[in-house]
Amino acid sequence: MAAPCRKMASRSFSQLLYCFNRTAVGSVGCRRFSVTPVGRARPQAGPAVERATSPWTLMAAVCLQRLPVISADESPIEQRFKQMMQQMELEKSVLSDHELRLLEDADRMSRKQAGDYDSDEEEGHGDQEIMLGQDLEDTWEQRLKNFQPAPRVRADVDKDLTSVQRCLADSLVLLAEQQVGAEKLWLLPQAAWQEGETLRQTAERALGSVTAADLKATFLGNAPCGVYKYKLPKAARTESSVGTKVFFFKAVLADSAPAKAPNTALLWVKKSEVQKYLKPAYAMKVDRFILSL
Amino acid sequence: MNHMFRKLSVTVTQQASALNQSLCRSAPSIQHPAWCCAPGNERQYKGTPTHGIGRWKYLLPKQAPKKKKDRNQTKQILSATDTAHGTLNVKVSGYDMTVVEHYSQYIHNLCNRLGIDVAESYALPTKSTEVMLVQDQGNKTYVDAVLKTHQRVVQLSSLNASLCPVFVDVLLKNQPEGVQLSVKEHTEADFQARFKARPELEGLLAQISQ
Repeated sequence: MAAPCRKMASRSFSQLLYCFNRTAVGSVGCRRFSVTPVGRARPQAGPAVERATSPWTLMAAVCLQRLPVISADESPIEQRFKQMMQQMELEKSVLSDHELRLLEDADRMSRKQAGDYDSDEEEGHGDQEIMLGQDLEDTWEQRLKNFQPAPRVRADVDKDLTSVQRCLADSLVLLAEQQVGAEKLWLLPQAAWQEGETLRQTAERALGSVTAADLKATFLGNAPCGVYKYKLPKAARTESSVGTKVFFFKAVLADSAPAKAPNTALLWVKKSEVQKYLKPAYAMKVDRFILSL
Repeated sequence: MNHMFRKLSVTVTQQASALNQSLCRSAPSIQHPAWCCAPGNERQYKGTPTHGIGRWKYLLPKQAPKKKKDRNQTKQILSATDTAHGTLNVKVSGYDMTVVEHYSQYIHNLCNRLGIDVAESYALPTKSTEVMLVQDQGNKTYVDAVLKTHQRVVQLSSLNASLCPVFVDVLLKNQPEGVQLSVKEHTEADFQARFKARPELEGLLAQISQ
């Protein structure tokens, strides 16, 4: 292979630390990330490497994914199994503090209403007599009624392919319409490799050129996850350019609502919808590394 | 007739004795048999000739005896190379202990399947957080709930660079709700943080240094 692979091998790694949060409280649409870069080592000035001129143009593309925000709905078997497991655990479990308190209160009430009640014989449970367990339950019920959860599925947002909030239970991939040769094609955002940068930096540049600058994406590693190569038609082939090789890098969206750049058209699609937009040969290679779990 | 047989037998016996004498004369040059050479107090076998036939442990190389002190610091912290990350800590934390433990077990099993070396898998102490709310009718705060944060760590000794994006992608896609995942490098400070503080030792050290 040409220069970039050798370069990647000779440069030391930059270690990025990831911290992924998945909490119900927080911004809808994305998980919160914290990325702490640890000492990005300066690339060593190696000996002058002879550039073997290769006839392939190199490009790097980024597969930006928005991870699912909520868990997917359960299938009927999963629902039945879940109910059965919950019932089994309930039957095997021990009474909690609150349930014991309810029983004590009921016991005390029955003793109070009996004929020969002597309040001096009772042990001191000052707080519990003021606020019964039942009262606590009532206050909790009230608070639960006041809480309005957000809807899990919103049909209108799901249909809008450009919205990043669609299909919260699935993972989405970013597609951009870019000019390749003479025609405009839908593909993963890509950029041409330039001298003096790693392929990963090229992929970051590709992402920056297609979306707004404040989009926060965490790249998952320095190594590409896939490659696609195509040869130019015989008429366009020359000595120095036989075709193009595109290397794909995986990234995960870290921010909730990215503002898209107005000049390029962007789509957020699920893996099943990706086939409709990409060319067949390209889609076959891309399909291999997009995980639909 | 008889006296003829007698003559024959006499001649036969005479020949035999002559042969014997010749044999006996050459006998002193023959060595004594081997068992006569061994000293009288050592026998080659005890009870049966096959005594000790299954012995094999004496053939193994000698192993140094295991020291107990080594158990706490046997793992070296690997540093990153050009093609692999160093020692990484994958920390899983959350409020629900069953979910956190199951997810950390899932991570460990996934590493075993993918051939990633797992150096250690341990739990950090549980942190309790008290949620205090202000009462509606007054300024007094009361304890509303106690939230316990459980943490589990899976320590990987090295992670191949080409495997890293695949591995992290699978972890993220399978992350359950309410669980936080963090992938960091393992440092000496992380290792020391697991030990309990010894206040009397620190007090004595402070006294010595003063």
